[in-house]
Amino acid sequence: MLRNRRNELIVAYLLTGPFIAIYAWLFVWPTIQMVMLTFTDAPLIGEGKSVGLANYIRMFNDPVFYKAVKNTAYFVLLTVIPGTAIALLIALMVARLSGWLQSLVLAAFFLPFILPVTVVYVLWDWLTNVQFGMLQGPIDWIMGRNVNVWRTIPWFMPGVAIITIWWTNGFSILLFLAGLRNIPRDLYEAAALDGATRWQMFTRITWPLIWPITVLCLTIQLILQLKIFDQVYLFAIGGRTQATMVLVQYVYESAFQRNAGGYAATIALALFVIVVAFSVLQYQILRIRGQR
Amino acid sequence: MKRLFGAAALAATLSAPMAMATETVVWWDFLGGGDGVRMKKLIEDFNAANAGKIEIQATTLDWGVPFYTKVQTSAAVGEGPDIMTYHASRIPLAVSQGTLTEITADDMGKMGLSADSFAAETWDAVNVDGKQYAVPFDTHPIVLYYNKDKLAEAGLIGADGLPAGLDGLDNFTAALQKLKDAGNENSIVQVTADGNFAFRTIYSFLCQQNGSIGSDGDWIPGDNAQKLSNAVKVISDWVANGYTPSYTDYPATVALFTSGASPFMINGVWEVPTMADLHAKGELFEWGAIELPVLFDRPCTYADSHAFAIPNNVGKEASPEKHAAVLEVIKYMSDNSLFWATAGHVPANKAVTETADYKAMQPQATYAKLTANQVFDPKSVHAGVASALFDAAGNAFTAAMNGETDPDSAVAEMKAALDALQ
Repeated sequence: MLRNRRNELIVAYLLTGPFIAIYAWLFVWPTIQMVMLTFTDAPLIGEGKSVGLANYIRMFNDPVFYKAVKNTAYFVLLTVIPGTAIALLIALMVARLSGWLQSLVLAAFFLPFILPVTVVYVLWDWLTNVQFGMLQGPIDWIMGRNVNVWRTIPWFMPGVAIITIWWTNGFSILLFLAGLRNIPRDLYEAAALDGATRWQMFTRITWPLIWPITVLCLTIQLILQLKIFDQVYLFAIGGRTQATMVLVQYVYESAFQRNAGGYAATIALALFVIVVAFSVLQYQILRIRGQR
Repeated sequence: MKRLFGAAALAATLSAPMAMATETVVWWDFLGGGDGVRMKKLIEDFNAANAGKIEIQATTLDWGVPFYTKVQTSAAVGEGPDIMTYHASRIPLAVSQGTLTEITADDMGKMGLSADSFAAETWDAVNVDGKQYAVPFDTHPIVLYYNKDKLAEAGLIGADGLPAGLDGLDNFTAALQKLKDAGNENSIVQVTADGNFAFRTIYSFLCQQNGSIGSDGDWIPGDNAQKLSNAVKVISDWVANGYTPSYTDYPATVALFTSGASPFMINGVWEVPTMADLHAKGELFEWGAIELPVLFDRPCTYADSHAFAIPNNVGKEASPEKHAAVLEVIKYMSDNSLFWATAGHVPANKAVTETADYKAMQPQATYAKLTANQVFDPKSVHAGVASALFDAAGNAFTAAMNGETDPDSAVAEMKAALDALQ
């Protein structure tokens, strides 16, 4: 039967139409509106006057903005690669277990992931409380005094990074475990027959075959951690918020506390550009490496 | 099916007049602590007293920025409540956003209230550009809590049974030293991990030197920078001398006082229910609370006010009946605010604080006199609880109180942050 290309196209548009319409309405249009907002002095709600590039000039001269970019980058550095590496390590160990013991250990690592961030915050805030916290024992032993982790600026980001890795690692472990299970057993058997060492098996079989999962984990983590907000906001509240400011937090503060919608949109756009640039860049680099 | 609809429609028609008779008043507040429990009791009492006429449907929301953002967004689309609690210090921002309905002299007349019903500063705080936007319900200052047993041991209780010899910076420091010498772990606790919270104390000491925070454009005018620095230094000296533990957060501050580890605590009056409840259970020492001692030139204490405000629900004007019901609610709460005093807050309505019942209430009646010497936040969209001003204080003073920076550079940092506000 001869196919009519025109008819096919019509059917294709008809079928994708609803999605494109909803996508354009709920995602593309608000994004365009956000960009338009950056050229106004709009409050949180309602219209603003056009101010040209004033918001951009203000942003590029704003020390707090640079601080937020720096802190966000630092946090990404502290969490994305270390977090993924730790997840792989744990997954490799969990993979060697079997049966109910494996399920039990996996559940133990996954459990923190299901906690809401507020619970994670309260838990760790108690553990690290400068007067009564359990962790002050070891801290006192190392430092010779109790330390308020969340008010000591050099400790803050590493502290939040450790908690974030503890909190979100379960998901990466799960992904890695699924990837490890997909590696055929006979590859290892063949390698063993050829006299391969454990390390050779890891570098020649496991690592290349798990690489796509690693790329996925790194990309998910990168985007997630660039958008860091909750933990930093909760641990810093009331104290030196500017010294530990991250980008989303600055968007929140500008829009919701200072009622500056236009300026908040400008920072949000900057974050949007950074996220897109970084994730495309990272994905490309990792893909090229993987294709070696 | 059709018959069912018919029955439903009939039932609706029949019950309509009855439903009309009860006016519902949707109420939002942010009162989550010991005062929230007491507010629920007041609401229950109101509903019981007005059964069949007015019914309050109350919801408690999260305090701070989330509450005010929700109010602003919901009022803008006509989905706000009929009445809500509001901090007087946040009214300037709300007015600039068009969130609040003006309260007219006519409204006040219907409630039997007027400017004369309130302390001058409290009344001033709910007015912006000569228009009134809320009805003050209480004032909630900070106070000095004390452990009577420990103070007596150190000889700091006077003949009238109240702490004595605390006025003047030197005397106060001497008293703290006495308490330290007497073997107390700490002499005085004050939140030192959050400069944001501690700003209440610092602002009080600034005012005690006749200093003030300015407003947009000129936030720290003239010699106020020096006075502000002096105020910060009071707390940083306490920390440096070992009278106050460093970097201590809010819950730990309360725990250090209630456990007896510190005989003094500076905190809001909202902790009075905590002490009263513990004491009633026999788990607390003899305690009291007094106006902040005069460390500088004159008595002065930071205060804010919980007030009732009516949101400007865009596109959903309140009917006259609804408006009358809302005024009825405010009047009831104001008239019955004696019970609210058990939450520590000082009722804003003078008619209540002048009753014999209130004057017999301890320690409320002792510290209530401070309403003659109170200072509210400067009137700016950037001031008030959970505001940019408080955040700037958090950033600048947290490090300074704990000796990481000196008070002078902290004040300079705060000035720079405030002047950068737009």
